[in-house]
Amino acid sequence: MAKQVLSFTVNGERVEALVQPYVTLLDALREDLGLTGPKEGCGTGDCGACSVHLDGKLVASCLVLAMQARGRSVTTIEGLARGAALTPVQEAFVRHGVPQCGFCIPGVLMAAASLLAENAKPSEEDIRYAIAGNLCRCTGYTKMVEAISEAAGTAARKG
Amino acid sequence: MASVMKTTRDVKGVGLSIPRPDGPEKVTGKVQYVADIQPKGLLHAKLLRSPHAHARIKRIDTSRAKALAGVRAVLTAADMPYLKKKAPTRAHAVLAIDRVVFAGQPVAAVAADEVAIAEEALDLIDVEYEVLAAAVDPLESMTPGAPPVAEAGTEADTSEAQAHGSVSGVAAVAKPAKAVNISQQAKLARGDVAKGLAASDVVIEKTYRIPMVHQGYLEPHAVLAQWDTTGQLTLWASTQGSFNTRSEVAEVLEIAENRIKVIPVECGGGFGGKIRALCEPVTAELARVTGRPVRYVMTRREELIAGMPAPQVVIKLKTGVKRDGTLMALDGELIIESGAFSGAVLAVGAVFLASLYKWPAFEVRGFEVLTHKPSIAAYRAPVAPHTIYAIDSHMDQIADAIGQDPVAFRLRHVQREGDPMANNQPWASNAGYEVLERLAQHPSWKKRDEWKKSAPAGRLRGTGLSLGGWLGGLQPTGATVRLNPDGSLSVLTGQVDIAGTNIALAQIAATAYGIDIDRVKITTGDTDVAPMTGLSAGSKTVYTVGAAVLQAAQDARQQTLKIAATELEAAVQDLDIEDGKVVVRGVPDKGVTLASIGKKGNLYMSKVPPVLGVANPAFTQQAPAFAAQLARIEVDPDTGEVTLHEFVVVQDVGKAINPLACEGQMQGGAVQSLGIALTERLMYDDKGRLMNPSLLDYRKLTAADLPNIECIIVEKPSPAGPFGARGVGEPPIVPAPAAIANAIEDATGVRLTELPMTPERIALAVARQ
Repeated sequence: MAKQVLSFTVNGERVEALVQPYVTLLDALREDLGLTGPKEGCGTGDCGACSVHLDGKLVASCLVLAMQARGRSVTTIEGLARGAALTPVQEAFVRHGVPQCGFCIPGVLMAAASLLAENAKPSEEDIRYAIAGNLCRCTGYTKMVEAISEAAGTAARKG
Repeated sequence: MASVMKTTRDVKGVGLSIPRPDGPEKVTGKVQYVADIQPKGLLHAKLLRSPHAHARIKRIDTSRAKALAGVRAVLTAADMPYLKKKAPTRAHAVLAIDRVVFAGQPVAAVAADEVAIAEEALDLIDVEYEVLAAAVDPLESMTPGAPPVAEAGTEADTSEAQAHGSVSGVAAVAKPAKAVNISQQAKLARGDVAKGLAASDVVIEKTYRIPMVHQGYLEPHAVLAQWDTTGQLTLWASTQGSFNTRSEVAEVLEIAENRIKVIPVECGGGFGGKIRALCEPVTAELARVTGRPVRYVMTRREELIAGMPAPQVVIKLKTGVKRDGTLMALDGELIIESGAFSGAVLAVGAVFLASLYKWPAFEVRGFEVLTHKPSIAAYRAPVAPHTIYAIDSHMDQIADAIGQDPVAFRLRHVQREGDPMANNQPWASNAGYEVLERLAQHPSWKKRDEWKKSAPAGRLRGTGLSLGGWLGGLQPTGATVRLNPDGSLSVLTGQVDIAGTNIALAQIAATAYGIDIDRVKITTGDTDVAPMTGLSAGSKTVYTVGAAVLQAAQDARQQTLKIAATELEAAVQDLDIEDGKVVVRGVPDKGVTLASIGKKGNLYMSKVPPVLGVANPAFTQQAPAFAAQLARIEVDPDTGEVTLHEFVVVQDVGKAINPLACEGQMQGGAVQSLGIALTERLMYDDKGRLMNPSLLDYRKLTAADLPNIECIIVEKPSPAGPFGARGVGEPPIVPAPAAIANAIEDATGVRLTELPMTPERIALAVARQ
């Protein structure tokens, strides 16, 4: 199959890439643009490790074809802090010792950012539902919930 | 070894909740896992896997695949003459020879320019199979006449058990005639069981069944292999032990270990599933024949179909007690289904079953059984959640039957330090008793009656608890600690840091040397440069590698003080390290900076040796660690749905080197334990094919299924661990299945003896009540 020109905005910059039409957005980001922050944990949209923002909406990039992002804007974990070192949620994740193996973390942070963009003062339940699409095997989620809650300024019950 | 180090003032080190220094790398997506590494000229590997659980390979034709543009190599077993038909492990069974023994077993391998081309090539490989009868159920597989799994004469593999805390004194038993699939047996006995049961007032007999589950690490297996022109192989691996990976690959490929360099790349979770080599040898072979770097990344579907899951376990348990609660006898049978290759921790499991409580008479018969399913591996305290599910479900039922308090009943009978385990080895110092006693003080246990009565209409509420633990693994290990010319310290081990153990090791070095943690850097070296270091498994990283780091830091400290003693004209015993200086005690202005000592060790023509602390201890003393867990639940008796309202973990960590990291282990382990209890199972059809090979159908717990996990840390120092530390990783995965089963019975009155305790099973049990 002939490759196609994919021109879109990634982390605030206009980029062009030559991709196969059957390639997923995740593969285009990782293999063609070198943005390996989004991870492939399942390839079927069940684990959330590949989460990115497409025009500001949370999507599983393994379920989006790269060409579907043509002319649109994608934010990955690499662009989340927009030039700052870390977002408050990222800082809270470090302080609370959230990352263990770390493989799920980029996806969880994209989900958390998406939540806080829509709901600045989420309850513990809001947070738990917002990251329910992100599987984590190391942490048991408690410290994640506490970190997101702290960054949002809403106190979660100490676990 | 000294278990307590003294410095004149508290340095920033052991005991503090210090976040791991690589946290910022992990939250920005900058950390590189194997699949993120993309060298020039990279080829992608794919494996063709058998659709049948048991079949003879009559013919393989790879010619069409080889002709596809972009395909660089296609391999079958015929291309690898060093492969052995009697493969003792999965690592050796690189590609099937003549016969496949589980659905998902690799039969051919492809390396191509793109993943899509490699996938297309798989479709072009023609394999003709003669499908054979498969042994799918472990109980049927034990019987004479079952379809044989292993080639006759294949040795049982017990190396996994050794890594995880081996036990001695377990008798091996001759297998019954023609039961060809029984690959290991063990028997433990003491006293007269028949007499004990006959003299009992209450005899309870149940069979518990726990299905195969997957370790569930988020990063699928991945490896990148590259050879140089001199015949040196470099492997970038997602492994729990780079030296172990090196040994296994060297053995399979029949090359010297020092011609292989394993670089332990960030590991996206292992939990026991990334101890043994799996896809490394075939990837290395593809790289060899193509002369290019080759990367192989398993898909999630492949992980679930052909990873190395935890075994299915069937436990038949019969116990007898007197009406007053006196334990009389236990009779147990432990059947571990290992899949197509041997490797279960059979002896440890059998010992565990009869060692937690004081049974005056017992007999435990253990069997490892092979079936035509993927072979198993460890999963965090292997087989302990299974044995504790049986025994601690039983303890609750006994207490209920004789009208005794379940905690008091357990505390009366739980074995303590010095009591004989089932293999007659005395229990080492542990806090099994103490953690259970501590949990019983929790308001949620004390108020369990109020909780039960508070159930809204149409719902039932209950509370359950359980006690479980792990013996703790052992493995020799090495570490070095160097003083740098600026007075900072560099620590080197070969320990793969998955969960954040490196920060704990650095804290140990800081406190042992007498310097703040900010001045300590720790590195995990590859197999060419690091001292030999064991697996990140068996709850032994901090316990054994921590001890090596402690000793190496003490060695470096002694060397430093000796150099300073000459310079200060003082005795070593009068010296101390304070604020980056060696000082004479009581003479605060008399001192020499660590930087000046470090500089002299790297000065042209200097006579001062560079400070290099070295330690390579081989441990013999295990440090068992226990956790007690409590679940407060609500059940909808119509749908069987369980809602977890509270979950509490009380755990003895010996000494919390880094309390934050300890909590992370306790919470993560507890949720894996809850997954085994409530939702997870690999489901096979009657032909041995996996029916749920996706994360939609293999149901893991999500954030929305869970409450916050409450942690209570208990510290009963271990005699030999660094600063009294014990292993932390494994105990928390053990108790939840029994705790949940006990809570469900408290709420509904039904006893579930098969995991997972799904809504369907609960609702059916309630309806049958």
